Amino acid sequence: MTSLGRALWALAAAGFAMGLAALALILTNDELEAAAAWGAGTLVVGWSFVGVGLFAWARRPDNRVGMLMAGTGFAWLLAAFSFSDVPLIFTVGQIFGSLFFAVVMHLLLAFPSGRLQSRLERRLVLAAYLLTTVVIAPMWLFADAEALHCDSCPENVLLVEPNEQLVTTVTSALNIVGVGLVVTVLVILVRRWRQANAGQRRLLVPVYSAGAAVMLLLSVTVVLQASGADTWTLDVFWIASMVPFALVPYMFLVTLVRARMIQTGAVGQLIARVNEAPRRGELRDELARALGDPSIELLYWLPDGERFVDSRGHDVKLPAPGSGRGVTRIERDGELVAALVHDALSFDRELDALGAAAGMAIENERLDAELRAKVAELRDSRSRMLRVGLEERRRLERDLHDGAQQRLVSMALNMRLARDRMRDDPDAAERILDGAGAELDAALEELRELARGIHPAVLSDRGLDAALETLARRAPLPVELNRESYERLPESIELAAYFVVSEALTNVAKYADASHAQVNVARRNGKLLVEVTDDGVGGADPDNGTGLRGLADRLAVIEGRLEVDSSPGAGTTIRARIPCG
Amino acid sequence: MATSVLIVDDHPSFRASARMLLESEGFDVVGEAEDGEGALVAVRELKPDVVLLDVQLPDIDGPEVAARLAAANGLCPAVVLTSSRDLHDLGAIGGVRGFIPKSELSGAALEALL
Repeated sequence: MTSLGRALWALAAAGFAMGLAALALILTNDELEAAAAWGAGTLVVGWSFVGVGLFAWARRPDNRVGMLMAGTGFAWLLAAFSFSDVPLIFTVGQIFGSLFFAVVMHLLLAFPSGRLQSRLERRLVLAAYLLTTVVIAPMWLFADAEALHCDSCPENVLLVEPNEQLVTTVTSALNIVGVGLVVTVLVILVRRWRQANAGQRRLLVPVYSAGAAVMLLLSVTVVLQASGADTWTLDVFWIASMVPFALVPYMFLVTLVRARMIQTGAVGQLIARVNEAPRRGELRDELARALGDPSIELLYWLPDGERFVDSRGHDVKLPAPGSGRGVTRIERDGELVAALVHDALSFDRELDALGAAAGMAIENERLDAELRAKVAELRDSRSRMLRVGLEERRRLERDLHDGAQQRLVSMALNMRLARDRMRDDPDAAERILDGAGAELDAALEELRELARGIHPAVLSDRGLDAALETLARRAPLPVELNRESYERLPESIELAAYFVVSEALTNVAKYADASHAQVNVARRNGKLLVEVTDDGVGGADPDNGTGLRGLADRLAVIEGRLEVDSSPGAGTTIRARIPCG
Repeated sequence: MATSVLIVDDHPSFRASARMLLESEGFDVVGEAEDGEGALVAVRELKPDVVLLDVQLPDIDGPEVAARLAAANGLCPAVVLTSSRDLHDLGAIGGVRGFIPKSELSGAALEALL
């Protein structure tokens, strides 16, 4: 048995014992009229909440509805301790007598997802818990039998100084606040009901109606109590409140069974329909119709990209935990194929059956979606490739214009000047020609550099190893080159690896202020891993700077990825993973 | 009196060669600027007869500099554009005396446009 299972059994035993204790206290209370009716009512309500709550908790440990329901049961039984003749037990029962009120409120607001959905809801519930515990407790320092209008009640063990006026005022104030809270909760429930669709309403109606009825009756009771109604009327209202209250857990059970029946029926219908080979997107519609949840989403898993897409192949993110939406993963032969995003309450095991039944249709749609995603990716990478190509041509034009072309222009001017001076001032002409020679050398070197940037000849002639050695040798700082031996790779991959190292080393030389760099090249899981690390200042931002961004685009074209680790002060690591095909 | 010239170009090697060439042919190179803003300031300060203006500059381009000079009161130097690109790639440019390809710059070419 799991530790949760053991804990739940222990809670069940505690609830059973607490119920018996409450029953004993009620039956032995001499003053109580109709003690048997009170006892039976208390026990039925308490045990129902604890029992159904623990059952739901065990089935759906991730949903807090079960826990809240069991909590309501315990709080209810605790309130019954105020029937005790023993002063200490009586006092405890009195102090926590209204706690169940807060738990019910929490339960209704958190139903069916188990989570409160807004800040207002969280504040309301917090206020209810505070009112029924911390705020109300100090009042018991002043409440004697007279203030409680209960001559036969046992002694309040917390009593310090009787003050009937104070107790009455505090009770009235708390009652007003309590009624205000209840009205707010009812407004929220009504609003939520209005926003719900038909499928959701089917699930909400039993619990909401019973819950709303009990809240309303309790409020009326409180108002009557405040207005000084007689004990008999109050008793009638109390017992009338208990009936819908006792129904809440059973209504919850009905909801669960109904959801399950809807889903079991849905599985059957689906098996019949999906065999008719639905068109794209229709599988989701069939599911939505059959499960009565129009908001349902069917997402397909693409193992290559490790992501979910819809039937059109567009990327979709799963809802975050706590968003009020549930996620059921559908597997086929142990492999994840899809996920259903649905109402938080609905479906659990039934959907596994559904996944198995509709597995073939889902797999077909998944393949279709995968194909669409691939086509979209190809379209993206094609336009990226075009953009990268255009940008490179633009850069080349600029480099040629600003570099070699300018040097050649000034050389032309200098040659003309030298020719004019040749006769009158041969020394000056010689100096000018020397300068022109230097310009020519520089222009040649720039042209060589440019040619290497377009395509390094050493790479095609002698392979990646030799090309990387050249890069390491040319770098203005010591570069340690570590590479595993492997066969030559397709040229596009070698070229991409070369440019990663070239760009990274250029950046190291320009910005890193490093004393040493390391280049690692290895093959891992069908990918070429290229890593350039330096011991410089770090702080490189891959989104800021055309070099790294261009590199990432260039890699994306061949489905490679670029990562940059560069915390300030900790050096920089540029890592590229390039699929080797 | 020698014609005073301001050379505006972002390439130092061209500025140096052009200065040497024009000075040897009797022009008075009164200043150099490496971008459009610098050129506007230098024209106000130095009041040259001729501005030798590169078409492509890092900030505002040559034709725009020429247009601003034409619009400014009291500043009316003769503007001659230069470029290392093909003349036909530049399209029509108004408000200037003429155009000299950089590699064909000479005192005679400049004189012909003034």
